Amino acid sequence: MVVSSFKPTSEVLAIPVNILPKNWQIDAYTNLSNYTEYDFTRYFINSFIVTFFAVLLAVILCTTAGYGFAKYKFKYNNLIFIIVLSTIMIPFQAIVVPLFILMKDLGLQNSYLGLIIPESLTAFGVFLMRQFFYSIPDEIIESARIDGASEFRIFWTISVPMAKTAIFALIIFHSQWVWNLLLWPLIIISSPEMRTIPQAIALFSGVYFTPYPEQLAISVLGCLPLLVIFMFLSKNFTKGITLTGLK
Amino acid sequence: MKYNEKIQKKGFYFVLPTLIIYGIFLIYPMLSAFHYSFYKWNMISESKYVGLKHYIRMFGDRRFWNSYLTTFHFTFISIFIIIILSFLLALLFQEKIMLKNFFQSSIFVPVILTMVAIAVVWQFMFQSTGVLSNIFLDIFGINIKWLTSKSVAPYSMILVNVWKITGYYMIIFIAGLLNIPSIYYEAAKVDGTSYLQRLFYITIPLMKNTFILAFVSGVIFSFAAFPQQYVMTEGGPARSTEVLALLIYKQAFEFTKFGYSSAISVAFFLTLLVFSLIQFRIFQSESNY
Repeated sequence: MVVSSFKPTSEVLAIPVNILPKNWQIDAYTNLSNYTEYDFTRYFINSFIVTFFAVLLAVILCTTAGYGFAKYKFKYNNLIFIIVLSTIMIPFQAIVVPLFILMKDLGLQNSYLGLIIPESLTAFGVFLMRQFFYSIPDEIIESARIDGASEFRIFWTISVPMAKTAIFALIIFHSQWVWNLLLWPLIIISSPEMRTIPQAIALFSGVYFTPYPEQLAISVLGCLPLLVIFMFLSKNFTKGITLTGLK
Repeated sequence: MKYNEKIQKKGFYFVLPTLIIYGIFLIYPMLSAFHYSFYKWNMISESKYVGLKHYIRMFGDRRFWNSYLTTFHFTFISIFIIIILSFLLALLFQEKIMLKNFFQSSIFVPVILTMVAIAVVWQFMFQSTGVLSNIFLDIFGINIKWLTSKSVAPYSMILVNVWKITGYYMIIFIAGLLNIPSIYYEAAKVDGTSYLQRLFYITIPLMKNTFILAFVSGVIFSFAAFPQQYVMTEGGPARSTEVLALLIYKQAFEFTKFGYSSAISVAFFLTLLVFSLIQFRIFQSESNY
């Protein structure tokens, strides 16, 4: 049972059988700074920035759109919803080339914005938020209207706080997804200082044919933020899956 | 009434930003993929209309078909194993076992890890001097060429994929199992049914939707596999692990054949589209009764 025997960090460190573990452990990590052409600190910062803003944008778009679709009856509501939802079926791999050309034309190559915008799109998130807002009773919104609250204020002070669980699930899942992305950064980022962590790991391990402990070290570090989040929120994780996975 | 209608119309402003951004960055690129696939284009010289040439070439391109079949092979074998394995695990975790939470989280952890990092680690294990090879050498006396043999490498890829996402489906199945009212089981127990009977006549039929959902999302996920092949084999040996996503990437960004790459993208999209429509149909007819 490979699956259960795997406790990532410890296992990772136990891998090269012919090297004494105690000696190389720290070496591998400190050696990372010797690869001057790889600025791993910078890549971590990049990944954090991109993940943070992509998730923020995703949350903004998904909650507003989900709310609009669920709580208002404007013209073509359903039609527009179906159009947005159908983008679920567009595999990212199928649009990378045109998207790359579009981003190049917009001058967003090698920029945070070029990474953030496409990575913030999740039609599934819109769907999730819409389903969730459906469960909020209309009466609450109506009574707030009678009290004279503006539509945006109702959204912000009443509806959003009520959707906390769903938003939280969205944040967890989307941040994990964004952090792990490889294909898009590989394409849109060519200048070394803009690399993200997965991209850096892939390039770093691709340069050398014989794997070195340093590659493992950076792989472990790259997973660390997610592991830490998981350890603190493991309950919410599984709750989030059941919320997002079973609809 | 007038007032209310006015309010309802305001909902459009909530939707508008999403509509614009999705339109520009998702729908427009998809349409342009169709458009570009009719042009010969390499980013440097002028683009030239070539009609259906790319598609004709694609149908005769052995590399494309190889990649297409590789992707199917990878996807369906992975999904088959993942669904069975995760379902069994979910059943297992229903029972009271030692260290349940620990095992459960251990199996789940790969789900959240970075695929690239996982690929690097597995690459180590698959090395001829790596842990896995040594274990196999000790037990069976054979040295498996995990990544260097044409016939083994695709299965090594499947192994990594299974390891990575089984935990996710396990959680989904556990949730699905919890949704089944225990009263059914109690009634069945009174009738003197065996565990297997209850499994096949109660659990599995009631979880049909969960199975379908797992299947659909699993196919979509595995079909788009890219990082592990990119890191571990780069499509080799002898293109035995060159999945479609990797081929699209290579055609566009290594060989600068943007038009041809777009044609493959369109084929990729249409395959998944047909697939999701079939699934959707099944899903609808299933939930009707």
